[in-house]
Amino acid sequence: MRRLQEVLRDWEAVIGLEVHTELTTLQTKMFCDCRICHDDPPNTNVCPVCLGLPGALPVPNRRAIEYIVMAGLATNCHIQRHSSFYRKHYFYPDMSKNYQTTQGPVAFCMHGHLDLEVRGQGAQERPDATADKNEDGSYVAPIRILRIHMEEDAAKMVHVGGSEGRITSASESLIDYNRCGTPLIELVTEPDLRTPEEARLFMEKLRRTFMALGISDCSLESGSMRCDGNVSIRRRGTTGFGVKTEMKNLNSFKSLHDALAYEICRQAEVLEAGGAVRQETRHWEPSRRRTMVMRVKETADDYRMYPDPDLAPFDLSDEFVQQCRDRVPELPDARRDRYMAELGLSRKAAEQIAGDPATARFFEQAVRLAPRAASMVANVVVNMLPAMQAVTPEQTASIAELLAAEAITFAQAREVLGLADGTNEDPRRIVDERGLRQSTDADALAKTVDEVLERCPDQVRQYRDGNKKVVGFLVGQCMKASRGTGNPKLFNQLLLKRLST
Amino acid sequence: MEGVDQLSAASIVAGIVAGDFSATEVARASLAAIDAREPHVRAFLQVSADLALEAAAATDARRAAGEPLGPLAGVPVAFKDNLHLVGTRTTCASRMLQDYESPYTATCVQRLLDAGATPMGKTNMDEFAFGSSTENSAFCRTRNPWDVSRVPGGSSGGSAAAVAAGEVTLTLGSDTGGSIRQPASFCGVVGMKPTYGAVSRYGVVAFGSSLDQVGPFGRSVADVALAMNALVAPGKDKLDSTSQAVAPGFLDGLDVPLARMRVGVIPALMEHESLSAEVREGLTAASAALEGQGAQLVEVDLPHMAAAIAAYYVIGPCEAFSNLARFDGVRFGYQEPGCATLAEQTSWSRARGFGAEAKRRQLLGAYLLASGVYDAYYYPAQQVRTLIVSDYATAFRRCDALLLPTAPTTAWHLGEVSDPTQMYASDLFTISSNIAGNCGVSVPVGLGADTGMPLSAQLQGPAFDDAKLLRIARALERGVEAAGRYAPGTVARLHGVTKEEVWPA
Repeated sequence: MRRLQEVLRDWEAVIGLEVHTELTTLQTKMFCDCRICHDDPPNTNVCPVCLGLPGALPVPNRRAIEYIVMAGLATNCHIQRHSSFYRKHYFYPDMSKNYQTTQGPVAFCMHGHLDLEVRGQGAQERPDATADKNEDGSYVAPIRILRIHMEEDAAKMVHVGGSEGRITSASESLIDYNRCGTPLIELVTEPDLRTPEEARLFMEKLRRTFMALGISDCSLESGSMRCDGNVSIRRRGTTGFGVKTEMKNLNSFKSLHDALAYEICRQAEVLEAGGAVRQETRHWEPSRRRTMVMRVKETADDYRMYPDPDLAPFDLSDEFVQQCRDRVPELPDARRDRYMAELGLSRKAAEQIAGDPATARFFEQAVRLAPRAASMVANVVVNMLPAMQAVTPEQTASIAELLAAEAITFAQAREVLGLADGTNEDPRRIVDERGLRQSTDADALAKTVDEVLERCPDQVRQYRDGNKKVVGFLVGQCMKASRGTGNPKLFNQLLLKRLST
Repeated sequence: MEGVDQLSAASIVAGIVAGDFSATEVARASLAAIDAREPHVRAFLQVSADLALEAAAATDARRAAGEPLGPLAGVPVAFKDNLHLVGTRTTCASRMLQDYESPYTATCVQRLLDAGATPMGKTNMDEFAFGSSTENSAFCRTRNPWDVSRVPGGSSGGSAAAVAAGEVTLTLGSDTGGSIRQPASFCGVVGMKPTYGAVSRYGVVAFGSSLDQVGPFGRSVADVALAMNALVAPGKDKLDSTSQAVAPGFLDGLDVPLARMRVGVIPALMEHESLSAEVREGLTAASAALEGQGAQLVEVDLPHMAAAIAAYYVIGPCEAFSNLARFDGVRFGYQEPGCATLAEQTSWSRARGFGAEAKRRQLLGAYLLASGVYDAYYYPAQQVRTLIVSDYATAFRRCDALLLPTAPTTAWHLGEVSDPTQMYASDLFTISSNIAGNCGVSVPVGLGADTGMPLSAQLQGPAFDDAKLLRIARALERGVEAAGRYAPGTVARLHGVTKEEVWPA
């Protein structure tokens, strides 16, 4: 098979995503009072409503409606004041009523969009001529969202006996209704995505956004956020749609990207050999790095949808929508841009901090205490805190200020934080008590430099042969020799001086 | 204790409060009446003697302890078998649920129990409430207590017959297209379909969710009013999001004739070609009785009434199709043994579990909801619904209630009507109030000159004007009694009983 980038020069991929997100941060299910906790013993969080027992009736969860409206507002959707729940019929035991309560032609949220900033390596998947690219090759891809609707999740089925846990070979199937009735929002994009990278970025941005809203734990791995990809290809320059296939089991960003990339190449191979793509659902097998046919769709399913008579239509008031709007926090991309513009953070650090609501909260608390050391706070948060257990924003601010004042080295900072971790100790006191100070004693440092140069004749020769980068290695050796106490800038200056003579 | 069937609900409560008799004595008397009459009537699918005696003993203990008694203390009641009551099976008269133990208690049932009622058992019905004669029960055919060769009507035929035969004082039924009012009419008792939303549907095995409503049967309007008070207290049921709060004021001013009472009549319906001569005569008498109580009769019209039955036979089957989809033999209900695949098990469980009419309605619904068909039927049916709601709104601007026939004829003989569409047509006068969601009540107005069977008139009122509707029904009942045509509290006479009737058959 040809490589993706090659294929995409001749063919244009048309990709649409369907993203299911469980509202895991809610206390109770969509239509009953049962707790949302899938890990409890099977069939313990169930009641007549989610078990679909005869005579039981659904009562909507108000908070779930708030959450989907917040999701709609955060993705620039029109919030539909008038919408209703529908019944979608299919016979399968994972749906206790043999119909799923979902929404009809009008969903709570319609016609939104997210703009993707595609940069770096991934931007090269899209041939330059097909996007309005910047000088660095980056471009913005506006992706329209068709709708976000509310529905209930199905039960979990476990197929026992036989291989691979697949139903076909199982001797019996067990059903756990703990998950049945969990509120689920389904977002459907327009077929606006053109590369696997764009699909991956969309999914990442959506996940960041939903995390910031606090409506779900958004775990692709555990399946609280699930994505299906629809893809077809067409010759560059044409506008019709090819036959699409649907991709399942995309439970990581990498799987999403790689499955789409594989499928685009596979379809191109089929079409270039004069064959035809079949409309089918395919399963991504990450270990074999390929997609396999799950089922072929010959006829469209008839779900016999009609408005659920047990649930009155919704008329959302202006007040309700405003309340939801008030609860939408600053979103990660806006926050990232603000960190870059106002605090002077690097794009990478800003993105990393802004992308996680808890980290962002922590960071902003620390910055309030050390407003002039913001980028050093970011540095500590990104590079040191992941290894710590329970460092406070106050401790972080102190360390950042010490670092900004060049009073201690990074190695010392790491050591001090390790000591302060889990205590209320002020890092300044630890520094004072232990006499941990960055050494700026030029004579002592010069002595260390001489020792290092003596031990590393090869690197010295390399430097003199023109490999200037080797200085970094030598600075590292000096830091090591000084047990992390030397000022790296001074080491650098001293080294350059010695090497140039 | 003799003659419990001669007592109203209120007098049973008063007698227990006064210590004239105990709730246990009343329960035993009801059990005795059931024992004596069931071989002929077959109104019950289960008699819950243990639950009844337990509840009655609890009522007696409360009285002995000086605790206040509920408004239905010691009153023997029974429930249509599509209402859950823990400790009984809920079969919906279907093989599908033959052994299904109620998993919880329906709100409407619980409210009667909370009011102190004594639960005597579960009554027969058409399977899943599909039918108008109770002949579609998978288990037995209930007989009309006025003439055991005739049907009690349906689908709540068992509930109507149990009250008419004097086996219990009150029963609950459900009315999706007339299933309370028509059997009430056939059996000569009062049967009320409250406004949609007035009574919780939680725990009522659903047929048509937008049409179903639970309501009471009694031998007088006052008994029905007492039951309504219990059904709406204490307010909206949070388990049914389509239910609404209704004040329990059904006895307030019940006996006081409404000032400037206006009753609407629709000439085309009062003289409808489907009406038998005796039903017409009953309606004329009902009009006269109401006028005698001070009502002014005004002519009104429901121009789209004829379309209601068509809309009903679209909406009803569509909702039934999806409500009954859960009966697949996996989690509950009949499960066909020995199937190799899930699809086989689902198909055979449903094929063997459901009777013919249940299959007919579900197939109809599956067809009507199919893509390409849906737009041609379901959507127009909803449009008809809007027209009928607006017809009623226009009519109720000019009157407090409408006077209508309940059914075109008196009760027919068992097996007499076999064409389903002919059976469907008998709901002509009741269906429109389910379509519109307003309230209706059937009141006995005499016995037919030709058949000797009970005649009734139907009153329909605006949504949530249920209390006013019962005041007008009481006026009609009073007028009918004054004319010497029918006395409230009348118990059926079990005509046509022959010695070879035995139970169980």
